[in-house]
Amino acid sequence: MRVKQILWDFIKKFKWRYIIGIVFLIITSFITSMIPRLLGFITDSLNNKMPLSDIVRYLIILVGAAVGAFIFRFTWRYFLVGNCRYLECYLREKLFAHMQTLPATFYDNNKTGDLVAYAINDIQAIRRTFGFGFTAILDGVVVNTVSIAIMVRTINPVLTAMALLPTPFIVFILYKLRRKIRERFTAVQKAFAQISEKVQENISGIRVIKAFAQEEEEVEDFLKYSQTRVDTHMRLVRVSAAFWPLTQFMFGISIVFFIIYGSQLVTRGTISLGDYIAFNSYVMIIMRPIVSISRVIEIWQRGMASAGRLDKIFQEKGEKGSKSIYVVPDIMMRKTEDRKHSLEASYTYESLKGDIEIRNLDFTYPGSDEKALKGINLKIKEGETLGILGTTGSGKTTIANLLLRLYDVEDGRILIGQKDINHIPLKALRESIGYVPQDNFLFSTTIRNNIEFFRPIYQDEQVNLASKMAGVYDDILSFPDGFETVVGERGVTLSGGQKQRVSIARAIIKEPSILILDDSLSAVDTKTEEKILNNLKKVLEGRTGIIIAHRVSSVRYADQIIFMDNGRIIERGKHDELMEMKGAYYRLYQSQIKKERDYYASGRLKVNPGLRT
Amino acid sequence: MEFSRGIDSNITYRKRRSLIIKLLAYFKPYMPLLMLSILFAVLINVSVIVKPYIIKYIIDDYLAVGINAPDVFLYVGLIYFGVVLIGAGLSYSQTYILTYIGQKIMYDIRNQLFTHIQNMSIKFFDRTSSGRILTRVTNDVEALNDIFSGVLVNSIKDIIMIIGIVITMFSINKNLALISICSIPVIAIITIIYRKAARKNFIKMKALIGRINGFLAENISGMRLVRIFHREKEKFEEFEELDKEYFDTSLRELILHSLCRPIIEVINTLTIALLIWYSAGTVVEGYLEIGVLYAFINYVKEFFAPINEIADVYTSLQSAVVSAERIFDVLDNQEMLEDAEKGMPIDRIEGEIEFKNVWFYYNEDEWVLKDVSFKIRPGQTVAFVGHTGSGKSTIINLMARFYDIQKGQILIDGVDIKEYNLRDLRRQIAVVMQDVFLFSGDINSNIRLRNKSITDDDIKRAAKLVCADKFIESLPSQYSQEVKERGCTFSAGQRQLISFARAVAFKPAVIVLDEATANIDTETEIAIQRAMANIAEGSTTIIIAHRLSTIRNADNIIVIDNGRIKEMGTHEQLMEKGGVYRQLYERQLNYQWIA
Ligand SMILES: Nc1ncnc2c1ncn2[C@@H]1O[C@H](COP(=O)(O)OP(=O)(O)OP(=O)(O)O)[C@@H](O)[C@H]1O
Ligand SMILES: Nc1ncnc2c1ncn2[C@@H]1O[C@H](COP(=O)(O)OP(=O)(O)OP(=O)(O)O)[C@@H](O)[C@H]1O
Ligand SMILES: [Mg+2]
Ligand SMILES: [Mg+2]
Repeated sequence: MRVKQILWDFIKKFKWRYIIGIVFLIITSFITSMIPRLLGFITDSLNNKMPLSDIVRYLIILVGAAVGAFIFRFTWRYFLVGNCRYLECYLREKLFAHMQTLPATFYDNNKTGDLVAYAINDIQAIRRTFGFGFTAILDGVVVNTVSIAIMVRTINPVLTAMALLPTPFIVFILYKLRRKIRERFTAVQKAFAQISEKVQENISGIRVIKAFAQEEEEVEDFLKYSQTRVDTHMRLVRVSAAFWPLTQFMFGISIVFFIIYGSQLVTRGTISLGDYIAFNSYVMIIMRPIVSISRVIEIWQRGMASAGRLDKIFQEKGEKGSKSIYVVPDIMMRKTEDRKHSLEASYTYESLKGDIEIRNLDFTYPGSDEKALKGINLKIKEGETLGILGTTGSGKTTIANLLLRLYDVEDGRILIGQKDINHIPLKALRESIGYVPQDNFLFSTTIRNNIEFFRPIYQDEQVNLASKMAGVYDDILSFPDGFETVVGERGVTLSGGQKQRVSIARAIIKEPSILILDDSLSAVDTKTEEKILNNLKKVLEGRTGIIIAHRVSSVRYADQIIFMDNGRIIERGKHDELMEMKGAYYRLYQSQIKKERDYYASGRLKVNPGLRT
Repeated sequence: MEFSRGIDSNITYRKRRSLIIKLLAYFKPYMPLLMLSILFAVLINVSVIVKPYIIKYIIDDYLAVGINAPDVFLYVGLIYFGVVLIGAGLSYSQTYILTYIGQKIMYDIRNQLFTHIQNMSIKFFDRTSSGRILTRVTNDVEALNDIFSGVLVNSIKDIIMIIGIVITMFSINKNLALISICSIPVIAIITIIYRKAARKNFIKMKALIGRINGFLAENISGMRLVRIFHREKEKFEEFEELDKEYFDTSLRELILHSLCRPIIEVINTLTIALLIWYSAGTVVEGYLEIGVLYAFINYVKEFFAPINEIADVYTSLQSAVVSAERIFDVLDNQEMLEDAEKGMPIDRIEGEIEFKNVWFYYNEDEWVLKDVSFKIRPGQTVAFVGHTGSGKSTIINLMARFYDIQKGQILIDGVDIKEYNLRDLRRQIAVVMQDVFLFSGDINSNIRLRNKSITDDDIKRAAKLVCADKFIESLPSQYSQEVKERGCTFSAGQRQLISFARAVAFKPAVIVLDEATANIDTETEIAIQRAMANIAEGSTTIIIAHRLSTIRNADNIIVIDNGRIKEMGTHEQLMEKGGVYRQLYERQLNYQWIA
């Protein structure tokens, strides 16, 4: 999908509004171009000492024409410019819908601030092209044709030619300059996007910047971007500022010729004084659209520059199997019944059943040249729980990412219920998996919204239960607004453990058939951890579970435990089996529990009777 | 939502007068250029006024009386040419200068705004969505372009033009001139009505752009999660609603604009008609030369051109004014500003930290810390333990003075931290935060930040101490390996190690580890613990951890419960005492044992 294609579809969809608008615009332009002619008549009749009543009649027509032009102008503006205001919103929605389908790699490689700039700044540039640019072209063409036609018919053709003489030169020069404009405007837009990117990242990281007192240095860095913005703009202006004076100058020349030659025509009686006066107005009238055409070329080039930038995003391929939401172009932006149905329909899905199987999987992240996973073979029976332990960066999260199909794998490597993951509809796959990510992202809305995650179909009891299971219920109730507490961006106004538990609740409430917890108890104290693990046992009944952790205690009871190192599974089995192997798992156990225990026992302290030996 | 709208709300009450004065103040450094461009403007006007006069001269003196004088025509033609040439040249320079001034002022404002935002306290960022701040630095500043790089000087030009034309008209014919200007009051009334309506609409529109920006920024960072939960549709609906609201205001703006400007054009024609009607009798009776009427018709047109233009830019002017208000709303926010200049400068602190009956809340009357008192001696290692949400991270935030306390006192080296220079104070304390943040750039720049005094060797040393060297050195470009936004191409543990190395590289007097090893495997964790003595290098160390085994050796363990200090002492002391800590410890052990 390219921007041009989208625009074209849009125009086709609204062709009637465009046609009506264009017709009205033509009428308006026609009337406007008649006004000088009328003035010419009036001057002539004054000169010829016509009776006052004739003149009054002309004046009434003149005023009528002005009022008519007003009404018609309003109408076409409403249709044509109104359309492009809608176009702006439509494009933005389309862009957002498209972005919703783009794969994780896209977001790994693009910066938020930059993407935001596309959605606001570039789309507005396109709107301006279509609003001002498009109507100014039409207006210019119509006014010019009418004026020239009248001129040719009623005035000396030689004079007409003289008035038009500069036009081809101007058009030629403008045509030559257009590429420069586009290049330079692209640079301007890019500079703007970079500022956006810089500010966005700076604000996201403001806590680090403040903690390390880097504010001054950041400002210094910002100055560079700000300066680039000035420089790129001045480069653009050097070219674009020439348009208007150039046109003025060219037409000035034609008036000079007119003064020299046309005056003689009047004295010789070839043309009337009225014609002479009218001619002057015509030059003015022809000049105006030419000036605006030069502005149009500029704005058009700007639009093209932005469309080019947007094209880059629109041409990114969406994730396999994901369809972008169909955005219906509808001028009043009403929501159609279809859409409501499709929203409700999306609440139902076929939940995934069956074993999860990974066969001989190698995986490399796009753009990286080292394998993140090497020869992974794994089978998780339906309803069983897998525990994953491993060193930092060993590929634990990567396995979860692949099960969620955030990155593509070859066919035949991952199967769920005998079906290849690449052939399972994304919806069924993702609706069936409850995932607690390793870094907790909350949206800046109420806690309840965060748990329901924008799907308000849950009863209060369900929300309460999920938060109880996640061990965060009491915390939430201790806030004055309870579930209605609005959290800061990314959840900054909650403590680390609170955030983590809210995101556990968010996964549990879905009642997924597969639950994946990625290091999800790292920020909670042991007492809470114990409570949550106990609850999880209940939650996991009848569900397939994957628990990624660093603590042996978190995975101790799993039906199967794997230990990963550097992209490989180096040990696997149940707790007891692994203990017997005396390998990495055993050592981990020793350092986490045994040593601690020995230390405790060796102390002079009395061992608490509750503690088993 | 109430607080996130905080900065949009009281805009309407701002005094307009002071706004204009503030805006004008930005012109100060560019006075000479501004004067030059006003001079140019006057000259351009003269050229515009002279042109019809030249033609009038030809008509009245030659054509109307039927004299053919080719020499004169040629001569006059050349004069006209000269006027055109000068006009075009001036007009180019004028645009260039004006744009330059405009861009320079925008540059100044943008930097001032950014600097101001850098100095805002964390409280401000807790409440304001980054998208809204972003909109102010980007879109709102861009909108000012119109004020500075055109409108002001053009308006001056236009007003000079109008005055010039009026004077010329009066000098030619008083009566006709009076008729011509009688439209002015009508135009004034229309403009006032338009302004009121447009302004209200613009305020709404800008706020919506800010919200769209905020929505996009948040949703692009959270896109992954939305995808994983398959909530694209719900999110889209939300976006669509916001966009629709914006569309409504945008359409209203269009309607207002489409009414205001053409009406002025109607008035223009009416004035001309009136002029002709009045003079018709006089011309017919022979009192008035027809050239005069011609000149008048032209003058009225020229007279309306600037008025039209003013009406036209009025929309962007209104838009700019609203943006300016939004910008000053941030700039005028002094109460949340941190003062980086004030206070006692510090070279190096000893590292003695004392809390004296500290009470603190984030939101009015929801006390998070209640009467907290403790003392940490220089070089000590102190641990905070407690349930999640009990206030541990909050204590850290207070030490670095991210927030100011409501009651009590925090002393560092015996001096109230409010006495110190803020930046200097923070340079003494390096925090490994619970929420890791990496900047895009490379690993070097993430450890060093922009502190040039940290050498490559320092970076390597720091990485080695926190055991990050192993993974960094296995990367293709090692320390210059690219880091993407928020470090998304690294594993959580790797990110945490990098942020740990950052704190170590800064060699602070106080090092704070807030769950710094939560996502790191046990083997590395133990290795880091062994290196702790080297890492701390005699600086005061504060550790927050949920795994009690990691803090056993601390000189002092402070147990926090629900914002209060429950117990304090060494591991042995606390175990002996048999209080909360012992319970916590045994529970952990016990549970892990039987688990
Ligand atoms: N998006 C990505 N692009 C490129 N490389 C990546 C990406 N995400 C992770 N990696 C790399 O892949 C390897 C495995 O990362 P993964 O996140 O799976 O580790 P992990 O086992 O979850 O570690 P941790 O315990 O620290 O969370 C790491 O070396 C990491 O740098
Ligand atoms: N910026 C903030 N604005 C408002 N409330 C906050 C803010 N930060 C924390 N809180 C609240 O203050 C309380 C204490 O939070 P704090 O982050 O200090 O807990 P913590 O002891 O560090 O917990 P954890 O172990 O989970 O990290 C919590 O109830 C939290 O919701
Ligand atoms: Mg991970
Ligand atoms: Mg904390």
